[in-house]
Amino acid sequence: MELLANLQLGFDVALTLQNVLYCFLGVFLGTLIGVLPGIGPVATIAMLLPATFALPPVSALIMLAGIYYGAQYGGSTTAILVNLPGEASSVVTCLDGYAMAQQGRAGPALAVAALGSFFAGTVATLILVMFAPPLAEVAFKFGPAEYFSLMVLGLIAAIVLAHGSLINAIAMILLGLLLGLIGADTNTGQFRFTFGLPQLADGIGFVVVAMGLFGFSEIIANIERRARREVVMAKITSLFPTREDLKASWKAVLRGTAIGALLGILPGGGATLGSFAAYTLEKKVAKDPSRFGKGAIEGVAGPESANNAGAQTSFIPLLTLGIPANAVMALMVGAMTIHGITPGPQVMTERPELFWGMIASMWIGNLLLVVLNLPLIGIWVKLLSVPYRILYPAILLFSCIGVYSLNNSAIDVALALAFGFLGYLFIKLDCEPAPLLLGFVLGPMMEENLRRALLLSRGDPTVFVTRPLSLALLVVAAALLVIVVVPAVRRKREEAFQE
Amino acid sequence: MAAFSRDLPCPSRRTWLRALIFVFGACVASAAPSQDYPSRPIRIIVPFPAGGTADLLARQIGQTMSEALRQQVVIENRTGAGGNIGADLAAKSKPDGYTLLMGTVSTHAINPNLYPKMPYDPVKDFAPVTMVARMPNLLVVHPSVPANNVAELIALAKARPGALAFASAGNGTTQHLAGELFKKMAGVDMIHVPYKGNAPAVTDLVGGQVQVMFDNIPISLQQVRAGKLRALAVTGPARSPVLPELPTLAEAALPGYSIISWFGLYAPSGTSPQIIERLNREANKALATAHIRRRLTDQGIELAGGTPGQFADFMRAELVKWGKIVRESGARVE
Amino acid sequence: MSISIRSPRDFCAGLIFLFFGALAAYVARDYPMGSAVRMGPGYFPYLLGILLALLGVVICVKSLVIYGERIESASLRALLLVLGAVGVFAGTIESAGIVIATALLVGVGAAASPESRLREVAVLIVFLLALAVGLFTYGLGLPFKIFPV
Repeated sequence: MELLANLQLGFDVALTLQNVLYCFLGVFLGTLIGVLPGIGPVATIAMLLPATFALPPVSALIMLAGIYYGAQYGGSTTAILVNLPGEASSVVTCLDGYAMAQQGRAGPALAVAALGSFFAGTVATLILVMFAPPLAEVAFKFGPAEYFSLMVLGLIAAIVLAHGSLINAIAMILLGLLLGLIGADTNTGQFRFTFGLPQLADGIGFVVVAMGLFGFSEIIANIERRARREVVMAKITSLFPTREDLKASWKAVLRGTAIGALLGILPGGGATLGSFAAYTLEKKVAKDPSRFGKGAIEGVAGPESANNAGAQTSFIPLLTLGIPANAVMALMVGAMTIHGITPGPQVMTERPELFWGMIASMWIGNLLLVVLNLPLIGIWVKLLSVPYRILYPAILLFSCIGVYSLNNSAIDVALALAFGFLGYLFIKLDCEPAPLLLGFVLGPMMEENLRRALLLSRGDPTVFVTRPLSLALLVVAAALLVIVVVPAVRRKREEAFQE
Repeated sequence: MAAFSRDLPCPSRRTWLRALIFVFGACVASAAPSQDYPSRPIRIIVPFPAGGTADLLARQIGQTMSEALRQQVVIENRTGAGGNIGADLAAKSKPDGYTLLMGTVSTHAINPNLYPKMPYDPVKDFAPVTMVARMPNLLVVHPSVPANNVAELIALAKARPGALAFASAGNGTTQHLAGELFKKMAGVDMIHVPYKGNAPAVTDLVGGQVQVMFDNIPISLQQVRAGKLRALAVTGPARSPVLPELPTLAEAALPGYSIISWFGLYAPSGTSPQIIERLNREANKALATAHIRRRLTDQGIELAGGTPGQFADFMRAELVKWGKIVRESGARVE
Repeated sequence: MSISIRSPRDFCAGLIFLFFGALAAYVARDYPMGSAVRMGPGYFPYLLGILLALLGVVICVKSLVIYGERIESASLRALLLVLGAVGVFAGTIESAGIVIATALLVGVGAAASPESRLREVAVLIVFLLALAVGLFTYGLGLPFKIFPV
């Protein structure tokens, strides 16, 4: 019954008028910056840090956390409406979400994303309440060998993302892996593919690549299609999902929540993998996988749930260990420091009101997000009826400002331009950019952990199969590879016979 | 859409040009600088990501200074190349007192010795304003390592060369170089395992994948307090007030061993002495009254201060010291 | 039997992969290779580059055998002006400030579409300028220079 007492304590803290207000302020601000392409929660939280000094610590942290998951939430809106993924986890939302929007079904896509996220957030909060400390230990079981095997699994999953040619998808992944290696090598400090530009020393940012490949190229292609009168904007059918939509989505939401919550616990790349893994799974279990990429609602419901579940559980390493899993979490550590809380394993016992209050506030925040966003759907969908010739210069501007603000670097904007050109070529050549982006995200982590694992094993490559967790991941990867490749090969053979 | 189509479907190129020129012209005609400093917002460039110690310090000091100077102080994070991108930007900014830099031991002592091609000169291109803070690194080991003090660790490493691995936040970081200096002075062999930043390194250290780390004090201190890591020594010249019972490495086994991380405020060289003096005064006041002074101290970060001259002397000594460490360690970035 | 390109899309895609793969392998040759168990910084990119180049060749060969679709014609105006707008923004944001960069980006970008109307674009520029300065610079506190000083 300690659990109930803890929950009670949490809600007592989170439900004070002041804290609910700060929570609302947080998720509201978060939604706003999340919707703006490229503007991430990092800049906003950093700016608000000194300003939160005047607040009680719990309120400050509740608000800052709200900005984080609110931004995750807002990011999917932009992905669905205009094909702009603001971060790695919304790339897959673009695939079917944007397709749905083009068919006039932006409303149902947004609604399912909202409802799925809320469900996932609720479950993930419960998981936090019940299992946070034991789950934190999972992070320690993941050494370099396990991370490498997980990345292998992720790359094979990336092949499933594509719906066109298998071999093209593999080439795109390889290209993504290579792009990911640009910058200083972590293991030796060697600069690779930087061509003398110090701005490339830390590699190319994900948003830069995504904005170019998805955003800019899509704008060019859209203008072109319109000039040829090829686009007939589909009539907006309904704002809310039909019964069939909900029937198709609920299982995807369940699966996405489970995957996202699990992967979110892993510091370093886990949360990113969640939405990709969820999408892959949905495509694999679907009766008709060919619908994916063309507006399958499960392709929105699964990844969005995974994304939000992961956003909640990624607080586990921070709250239980004091170890930040990503840039936002590092800022939360800063925020705690300012307020005289030393983040670490003792927070839970020394400041229970803070620990449980924050967790309870996350559920409240998720509820507020649904309440805030469901009515907004109408406005977002209306936005799409603004003539494209007015909409696209605005999208272009917001994207450029977003890319620039990542590092306050004009070079980043120029790089995004180059990726826009590449993306346009890929559209013309029918090569899908999603596998490239996944390769881009996973590549550096894969190489880094491969080399680190071999360094730690003193050059013994059996480390990947002698460690049980690593072995298990590799077995799953092999199984997935068979599932992916066999039908494709069979299909090719049939095609060849027909000729 | 059809209703609008009689309205100029495709304006001629000249019309566009004229429109652009008009807008351009309208924008240029405004804004002029004034005499009294500071008459407009001051920016502090932080060459590291938001949320790090350098960023946190800049934001706190910046806020306090902004109240005294009655001007906004904007923090601009310009990351990249181990801090060189941001530092270079500051070096090449107008020396008018409106651009400052939160420099660190990396940008002003390690990198100039580590990078074969530096875009700026840490001494010639900058006018030091004041030292802001310093902190020692902490020598920590995983609890499973059979060593309760520095001497035992050295004995262990000597008995089994190459069996111990030490983690760092990356090549050329203080964590890395502190380890290399340790290896050199103690005459032992340990494998260096670099990570991308502190957090993943500490995670693997707590998980027992690596055994040793010379970590920046704030994160590992908490793990030590929770019993997940064992602290053996601090790397600084004196004991840390947060762990007074812990010896320095110099006391414990390696006389002369001394490494600290530090942060300092710089202006581009050529900034007028009056402005430097004013900034130094305000920064020192801010450091003395900073809201978070005690809280930072609790984490092992010591707020500094002092005159520009003191800071310049300190920095010169650091440049020489790190030059020696970097050369002897063989660490390279290119 | 004469060799002809049966799938122009795949052929071009194959060439692009071949180009990037070969480039990566070529550049990576200069980095220390190490061995399979003690990889240097060159090992992984070199291997990936070779693999990608090989795949590029396979895709090219495949395009000579299996029929595929033609490449749609491209609209140079849309391509150049949209990317040009981004380029102008990148070139002016630091020297000329957000106001000029915004106006130029929207002006050049709008010219990409034949559907754009001059009057609408003028209104749009004013509206977006207000947003860029009000929302982004003051509201979100992004450190933009507003005007060239």
